[in-house]
Amino acid sequence: MGIDTAVSSLAARLHGGERRAIARAITLMEDGGPAAIALQAAIQPWTGRALTIGFTGPPGAGKSTLVDAFVAELRKAGRTVAVAAVDPSSPLSGGAVLGDRIRMGRHTEDEGVFIRSVAARGHLGGLSETTHHIVDVFDAAGWDVVVIETVGAGQSEVEIVDVADIRIVVNAPGLGDDVQAIKAGILEIASILVVNKADLPLASRTVRQLRAMLSLRPQEQQAVPVLETVASSGQGVAALLAAVDAIAPDDPAQHSERRRARLRRLVAEAAAAIVKRSVAERQDDAFEAMLDRVAAGETSIVCAAALSLDASHLDRDPEAARMTDRSDAATDHAA
Amino acid sequence: MSQSAVQLPLPGFEQAQGEWRAAYGRQMAGEAPVRNRSGIEVQPLYTPRDWASERYLDDLNFPGQFPYTRGIYPSMHRGRTWTQRQLIGLGTPEDYNQRVRRIIELGASAISLLPCCSGFRGIDCDEVDTVLLGTCGTVINTTDHMDQALDGVPIGEISTAMNDPSPFTLLAFTLGVARRRGVDWSRVTGTSNQSDYISHFIANHQFYRLSLPGSRRVLLDHIEFCRRYVPNWNPVSVVGQHMQQAGATPAETMGFTFSTAIQYAEDCVRRGLDIDDVLRRFTFFFDISISFFEEIAKFRAGRRIWARIARDRLGARDPACWRFKFHGQTSGVDLTQQQPLNNIARVSVQAMAGILSGLQSLHTDAYDEAIATPSEETARVAVATQNILREEARLCDVIDPLGGSYYIERLTDQMEAEIEAVIAKVDAAGGMYKAAEAGLVQTMIGDSALAFQEQVETGVRKVVGVNCYRIDEDPTVPPADRPDLAAMERHVERFKAFKRERSQVAVTRALDDLARAANSEGENTFGKVIDAAEAGVTHGEIVACLRRELGFGHPLVIA
Amino acid sequence: MSTSRPIRVLVTKIGLDGHDRGSRIVAAYLRDAGMEVIYTPPWQTIAGVVKLALEEDVEVIGISSLATDHLIVPKMMAALREARLDHVGVIVGGIVPEEEKPALIAAGVSQVFGPGAGREDIVDCVASLGLQARERRADEFSEASR
Repeated sequence: MGIDTAVSSLAARLHGGERRAIARAITLMEDGGPAAIALQAAIQPWTGRALTIGFTGPPGAGKSTLVDAFVAELRKAGRTVAVAAVDPSSPLSGGAVLGDRIRMGRHTEDEGVFIRSVAARGHLGGLSETTHHIVDVFDAAGWDVVVIETVGAGQSEVEIVDVADIRIVVNAPGLGDDVQAIKAGILEIASILVVNKADLPLASRTVRQLRAMLSLRPQEQQAVPVLETVASSGQGVAALLAAVDAIAPDDPAQHSERRRARLRRLVAEAAAAIVKRSVAERQDDAFEAMLDRVAAGETSIVCAAALSLDASHLDRDPEAARMTDRSDAATDHAA
Repeated sequence: MSQSAVQLPLPGFEQAQGEWRAAYGRQMAGEAPVRNRSGIEVQPLYTPRDWASERYLDDLNFPGQFPYTRGIYPSMHRGRTWTQRQLIGLGTPEDYNQRVRRIIELGASAISLLPCCSGFRGIDCDEVDTVLLGTCGTVINTTDHMDQALDGVPIGEISTAMNDPSPFTLLAFTLGVARRRGVDWSRVTGTSNQSDYISHFIANHQFYRLSLPGSRRVLLDHIEFCRRYVPNWNPVSVVGQHMQQAGATPAETMGFTFSTAIQYAEDCVRRGLDIDDVLRRFTFFFDISISFFEEIAKFRAGRRIWARIARDRLGARDPACWRFKFHGQTSGVDLTQQQPLNNIARVSVQAMAGILSGLQSLHTDAYDEAIATPSEETARVAVATQNILREEARLCDVIDPLGGSYYIERLTDQMEAEIEAVIAKVDAAGGMYKAAEAGLVQTMIGDSALAFQEQVETGVRKVVGVNCYRIDEDPTVPPADRPDLAAMERHVERFKAFKRERSQVAVTRALDDLARAANSEGENTFGKVIDAAEAGVTHGEIVACLRRELGFGHPLVIA
Repeated sequence: MSTSRPIRVLVTKIGLDGHDRGSRIVAAYLRDAGMEVIYTPPWQTIAGVVKLALEEDVEVIGISSLATDHLIVPKMMAALREARLDHVGVIVGGIVPEEEKPALIAAGVSQVFGPGAGREDIVDCVASLGLQARERRADEFSEASR
């Protein structure tokens, strides 16, 4: 069987909801390569139906426990849930201990729950490089809700915007210097703010601080709800689900707008990779001469980069254009 | 402490010491530092300069005198030897009964009861694969089962160590049996020796049954109830053993154990209980590793620290509360699967350390402990080891025989400092409950476990038969005792029949009462557990009810 | 890149026992050897292990048994076969009496590690079982992904 037939057969099986096919597809996505690319294309038409929810926040906020309680709440409502739980890989060995299941143990045997532990494999930004493909697999396989739990580095996890319809930023009292653990960047992406471990003494202060921070933000962000939960007892989790449902995009147009933005970024990233390869492999004399000029300090790196691209790219990037002597660029292309 | 002390005048000491150092240095050039398991550097020689003997009355004093470093009673083992308490539990209640009666015939005044792992999990025998039942403890799910297990056992005269985590169903069954037999509860003696839920949460998930806050509540109910109605029962045993088994160093273990004891004592006071009444009933349970001198110093330092904690920090006025009473179990972690008979030598050394440090009660492991659940024959060797040490080696002739050794006294001081540093670290984290909840303790233990394993892997720490002195062998040990499967199947069938035939109305009412008590702060859950057990409610049903009301929770597993 | 993809291992405990010092140390060993370890709480059921192995698409399962839980390992092996997960390699670590080892091997367990088993032996065994599992699966993608 050729790869194309194999891919379409796997795609059909996972679209039919077969667990084994889903698991296999995720591994393929993680492996990358031609099969992954073909599979991504094959399942695209079936995506866009699941509600995708991201949980992010600093370590120690209780994300896993909250996800566990949230999954239980969804199950009570009869909705099926797939979870992609991302953990960091060891920078030294590349290995990882993926321990999110420790706190999600009660769902292990529930057929309405599919949990996949994902190693970040060196990718920064709180997700793994292939998390969005994994989300697509779950989506195409017909799961009602897809939950993504990020690494929880506390910062620069804005990638989750691309993947999740709803971003829940989890914080807890007593994590270092109060809400400093939540950096401004991450506040901006929050659809809902949660103060977990709300039974701790300083919880109400954390809530107040978050509200104060929100009040300084643009008008549309001030409406972001701030909720309190005690994930370990389930307190406040029903209210969290209600808040999620209240802002869930039931308008398909809204849904597809975000998906379109994501596709745009994915295409741009793929394009960047192609350009990177083509530039890195250049060995012509003109290019080598330019590298000499960079080494001698006569040309900047940004300038050299702009010179090695097609002029049409420069037209769209005023920043690069400003830093580049256009006549120089013309000469390079003529050469 | 000893550093700041006045030194005895010893003319010529410095010169002689200098000469010895030079000579030693010539022979031992480039020697790497030697460290014990707690990380303390061990010197090649100790001298009078390492011990401030003029602090004798403050730091050591006489046996039975504060701070009890040399022993908690005036006569120690010379007066009354330690209790030989072997953990037993296997098969059906009838199997247990046979074994326990034989032990009593041999003169035992104390017994123990280890329930089946299914019991630890909080479930009944009809919820488990029968092949697993009774393989590592006895299957006791009802008052009737306990009645069979203790048939012919004089429960008013014999002390029982009950391996019984919250909600203490085994004690509830025992009290039910006592009532059936007309034995007053004040005559029931023994220890709830698995009451330390924090240690279960941290280091022995096996025994972890209820959520942390739920366990906290249930333990306080248990203590309060026992103090009022079962006055000679020890409701609290703080278990350092689990943590050392999980990889904590001896000093960490002692520190965490005291931090836990402080947490429980302060919880009791917050509940309105009298500290003097409660603390006298606290007992401790430790692992004894093969790190011989370190273990002895650990326990001697422990006695001193506890006396000061109980008196000065917790404010107990009754000297009975200041005495650090502990049961020791030789460490199974030190035993090897390779050349299993070597374990007899290891257990002997561990037991010696325990006896020389003045323990109150001792369990010696069987030599096949690292390979299997001990058979009757190997368990007999374990008991004989204790008898040989007492009767032939005569370890009981002198009280605290290593006291005054420059090394032991110095090491006791150093262990004391290490242990107090651990307690301070837990205090800084807001106490043991919070430190456990946050995973701080688990991380420390995990790091120590990995560091120790690395030392074994790299050969820095030698283990005979494992990383040195290996031989090709075909280890022959007596085959593991497995319970009779057919008898176990009959036991399960009888249990199912019992459940069908009992009064469903009484069961429902008792469970409703228990659930209501769990939800009302003023009521005592343990009283309701006893009532439920008497109404025919099973162990699994009681645990399930409390899990529903108080939360199951998850033990925090730091990978 | 795909050739060096980390081996995925499930490290878990079935049955009744909850002692996890050994499984935690082994998990750390495997992580340090570059593998991805899915680590679970103890007390998994057999059905749970099957579902875990399937969802996580692991190549090796390590069962830690310090009491007597190895007695139900043969039932677990049968359940894995039934779920068509027979490409997955299985090892058992912990305390298994000599006379009870043959039953485990006969049921398809590749190796039983006792106390004192060396780090390298364990890592090498899991690594080779992982590669074998990839070969044994031999579905239409194995060519493409290798």
